[in-house]
Amino acid sequence: MSRVAAATHWFTLDYGAPPEVYDELAAGPGQLRPQWEEFREACRHLSAAEFERRSRQADKLLYENGVTFDVFSEGGERQRPWKLDLIPLILSATEWSQLEATLSQRARLLNALIDDLYGPQRSLREGWLPPEVVYAHPGFRRAFHGLPRGSEPSLLLYGAELARSPNGQWWVMADRAENPAGPGYALENRIIASRMLPQVMHRVGVQRLAPFFIRLQNALRRRAPRKTDTHRIVLLSMGPRHNLFFEDVYLARYLGYMLVEGSDLAVRGDRVFLKTLSDLVPVDVIFSRGAEGGIDPLELGGCAPHGVSGLLQIIRAGNVAVANLPGCGLVESPVFMAFLPSLCRHFLGEELLTPSIATWWCGQEPAKQEVFARFDDLVIKPAFQASGGEELLPRELSTEARAELRARIEARPYNYVAQELVARSAAPVWGENGLQAGHMAYRCFLVSDGSGYSLMPGALIRVAPDLQPMQLSIAGGAGSKDLWVRAEGPVTPVSLLTPEDQPVQLVRTGAMFPSRVADDLYWLGHSLDRSDFLTRLSRSVIERMASETDEDFPELRPLIRAMADQGQIAPDFAVEALQEPLPAIEEHLPRSLFDDSEPLGLARAMSELQRLAARTRDWLSPETWRKLHESAVDFFASRVTQWDDLADVLAILNELQFNLASVSGLIHNGMVRGPAWRFLDMGRRIERGRNIGRLISSMMLDRQPPIRPVLKAVIEVLDVRMTYRARYLDNLQPNAVFDLAITDETNPNSIGFQVAALSEHVDQLPHESRTPLRTEEKRLIMSAVHTVRMLTPEDLANPRRQRLRRALRLLERKLGDLSAALQRNYLVRVGGPRQLLESREGRP
Amino acid sequence: MRYCIRHVTRYSGGKPVSVGHNQAWLRPRDLPWQMCLEHQLDIDPPPSLWVDRVDYFGNWMTTFTFDAGYDALTVTARNLVEVQPREWPSAESTSPWEEVCRLVRQPTTDAALDAAQFAYDSPRAGALPAAEDYVRASFPPGRPILAAVLELTGRLFTDFKYHPQSTTVSTPIDEVFSNRAGVCQDFAHLEIAMLRTLGLPARYVSGYLRTIPPPGQPRLVGVDASHAWLSVYCGEVGWVDVDPTNNLVAGEDHIIVAWGRDYDDVPPLKGVFIGGEAHTLTVEVDVEPLEPNGQLPVPAGDG
Repeated sequence: MSRVAAATHWFTLDYGAPPEVYDELAAGPGQLRPQWEEFREACRHLSAAEFERRSRQADKLLYENGVTFDVFSEGGERQRPWKLDLIPLILSATEWSQLEATLSQRARLLNALIDDLYGPQRSLREGWLPPEVVYAHPGFRRAFHGLPRGSEPSLLLYGAELARSPNGQWWVMADRAENPAGPGYALENRIIASRMLPQVMHRVGVQRLAPFFIRLQNALRRRAPRKTDTHRIVLLSMGPRHNLFFEDVYLARYLGYMLVEGSDLAVRGDRVFLKTLSDLVPVDVIFSRGAEGGIDPLELGGCAPHGVSGLLQIIRAGNVAVANLPGCGLVESPVFMAFLPSLCRHFLGEELLTPSIATWWCGQEPAKQEVFARFDDLVIKPAFQASGGEELLPRELSTEARAELRARIEARPYNYVAQELVARSAAPVWGENGLQAGHMAYRCFLVSDGSGYSLMPGALIRVAPDLQPMQLSIAGGAGSKDLWVRAEGPVTPVSLLTPEDQPVQLVRTGAMFPSRVADDLYWLGHSLDRSDFLTRLSRSVIERMASETDEDFPELRPLIRAMADQGQIAPDFAVEALQEPLPAIEEHLPRSLFDDSEPLGLARAMSELQRLAARTRDWLSPETWRKLHESAVDFFASRVTQWDDLADVLAILNELQFNLASVSGLIHNGMVRGPAWRFLDMGRRIERGRNIGRLISSMMLDRQPPIRPVLKAVIEVLDVRMTYRARYLDNLQPNAVFDLAITDETNPNSIGFQVAALSEHVDQLPHESRTPLRTEEKRLIMSAVHTVRMLTPEDLANPRRQRLRRALRLLERKLGDLSAALQRNYLVRVGGPRQLLESREGRP
Repeated sequence: MRYCIRHVTRYSGGKPVSVGHNQAWLRPRDLPWQMCLEHQLDIDPPPSLWVDRVDYFGNWMTTFTFDAGYDALTVTARNLVEVQPREWPSAESTSPWEEVCRLVRQPTTDAALDAAQFAYDSPRAGALPAAEDYVRASFPPGRPILAAVLELTGRLFTDFKYHPQSTTVSTPIDEVFSNRAGVCQDFAHLEIAMLRTLGLPARYVSGYLRTIPPPGQPRLVGVDASHAWLSVYCGEVGWVDVDPTNNLVAGEDHIIVAWGRDYDDVPPLKGVFIGGEAHTLTVEVDVEPLEPNGQLPVPAGDG
């Protein structure tokens, strides 16, 4: 490569770093920091266009993996895709190991402080901390006091939010001790970066992240109260409504733990159990990812999705370990930062190595005076909330607002802290016009490792476009980066998998299948089939309405009746005499299809499908989840765009049906025939069996014989036109259609096929054999199978069809009863915990 | 004085609950002037787990759970308690109230440090700026704290109406303050909040009050309720219990069960349940004074 080309290469030192901040790339004009040399060399082989191509590919991968903050929120409006800048931040091994030493000291200090405040409270007794700092703190929860503290530190995973000041000095901006968010995002960033820039990464020599996660697994395993080989560790999540659910799913999968919500766990006697389909399975360690204030509704109140009533008592009894131990969240509030240097001397007998950003607690008079004196240079925060919430910059406030803020501080000085502002370091970011400058927020993670803490050789870097103070939550910033810590020697591959030559016990199913997952999968199957059926039915209706010809469609009325019987449209549409006051069906139907407030409509079924897919993501293949997710996102996206005529609606329905068919294919091909698949399939079969029965009843069970267009519409909706033609050509006869739709067990769209499949599923259900007789489910499905198989050719051909009508009514009822029995006996949804009525002390 | 106290809490009438977890603060504390001589807790149906422990504030507390649920729940506490008369300091000799504020901000003794935690907002009794003028009228600069507290207690007694229907268990204190009506729990929370508004430490006391029937009438059994009042930290002389519902300094008639920052720390009984539906709650309390020989008094009337 020529010298000229090198000089004009896109990776340049002149990327526009402001002179007043620390430049992560250059030590001075034209002076590249040594840890970047290899990266620059490797980039010489990449053109700007190629880098841009890979950046786009990274975006696509992140989108496809569903990496977002809020992707699961209902309605999908608040979705925010995760963004990764492919240009990493690079640090040397020396610099990183120095940082490890200083941050582990800080983790040890915070751990000592937590243990003291929730234990002997020496810091208060000796006057190291003013009592207000703890007693006025709403996050100081008395229920956490005296929880047993064994040899393992309470603080298992610690996150430090860092910034570099203009001289390169590291400052801690915030401590994350409750359940630090971000290690999963850091891992995802690394995986994408290593896929997009494999050669570059190899050349630079980057330390791997896997050893950190192995330490995390070991640290969790060490906590198990039972000293056996088979510890059960679960990851307790706040569930899909929480904006970090993606990370919970991701970490659970990577670490190999079952993802659970509060309702999956139960306290029985003096232990915690996982509620599975057949059994209660003891749990040893809970890796908690939820807010500690909601972890036990009995002692802390509320009804958080990750709450397990009675859990604290089991922790006290020493029969379950929770990490981080409830109570660690206390030290996240910035008020403690003002005292860490002296606390470090008292607790550890050491000087604090990593300074916190200068912090003044207004509860002390001299500090408050200093804050008022330097009001414009500081940021004011609530003292007792974790940083990241309300933050005020006095210099940006109006005169009145400043006066009002001062008055608030004067009234309750102990509720406020003030902190210095830091001009964060700059590094190059890949933008629309090549390199530009961004400002770096580091979130580093440490895990307890025997006697001390280990720092993850990597971090979640968030990038701010300017020098404004940055929101400290991981949602802050305009994008993220991967942090590469250079290895000192060759990089040895490490994996979380066990060694290759270690045989395991062979099994056919996972031992733990939580009832909640069975329930979600059952309804996922139900919603999937309902969406599919309503799509096909609506398509048949709209195709006829949209017809350009003046043809008359005698089957349209029965089809509309079928839609009304399904609940997609109001029943009045099906009655000619009542149609007058209603809007034209041509206008009403498309609207009702896209309206998710219709409880039985297509849009509701699709939004259920999306919600349940999010909840069961861990049990579906990545492709199945992706296709489900995309189908729903596309459907709801098309809903908001205007449609000019019915042809547009038809196109949306065609697309949806195609997508749902791919989902079915993926499930069929990819899902192991275990309990997860069985519950999903039972949901589908019951719904499909009932839909076919209802369709036939709605369209063909009038007294008068069905005319051919109606028969044709039925085989069209049931998607069996080809089979019918292959057997009977164009000779449409009611008995042949009834056979194909009801009794023919070789047709996957017949009632007979559904009940036969259900019968096999029911045989496989786990059940306690308390009685030698058949279970309720078994009796119900046998009766349904019997009903189908006992139909005679004469029953199908009889023009009055009374036996057929009776059979369909019976099937509808049996399938409904089977669904209810399954829910009652396997999918018990008793709901969340509720608080007992409280008595009032009411004596005069 | 010795008391035989029976406190029955019943949940009945709803659909069976499938799992229940509960906590109870029903055993009176042992204090220099009060001894719980006998304590018996009966829980019906028998719980699957039962743990007694001492909570953060030093109260007796019982945790019990029902793995197999229950149709109805009855918790009966029977206590035999002896209460000695207490001596209160003379109100005018106590420290100026501002000194107590300063003392809990910079505690020099363990007692003051312990008191400090009761000087700040708690969920049900946070500072009430709207009541600041009301409370300051009794707290001119330099006034001895107990004198000021007694006057405030008397004003609350006069200005506020005892009215069981005016509030519920969840009525916030600012509403109690603006409606000028409530029950003992509300008055205790309100006075605590008022004192905390000034930065003074006050704690919530849950307990019982001896029933004194009107002259010539028999003592009725089971019509009592649990009672609540507050205790104020008065500096060196320690804690003084005042009862705003009755305008009293608590004495031999007040039996202390538990104390905390507010009701939420020490409800007689609380719990969560899964499945089933809400039950109706009935509470019966019976506070029976015993004769000095330990015998039950001969009931008056036709007993």
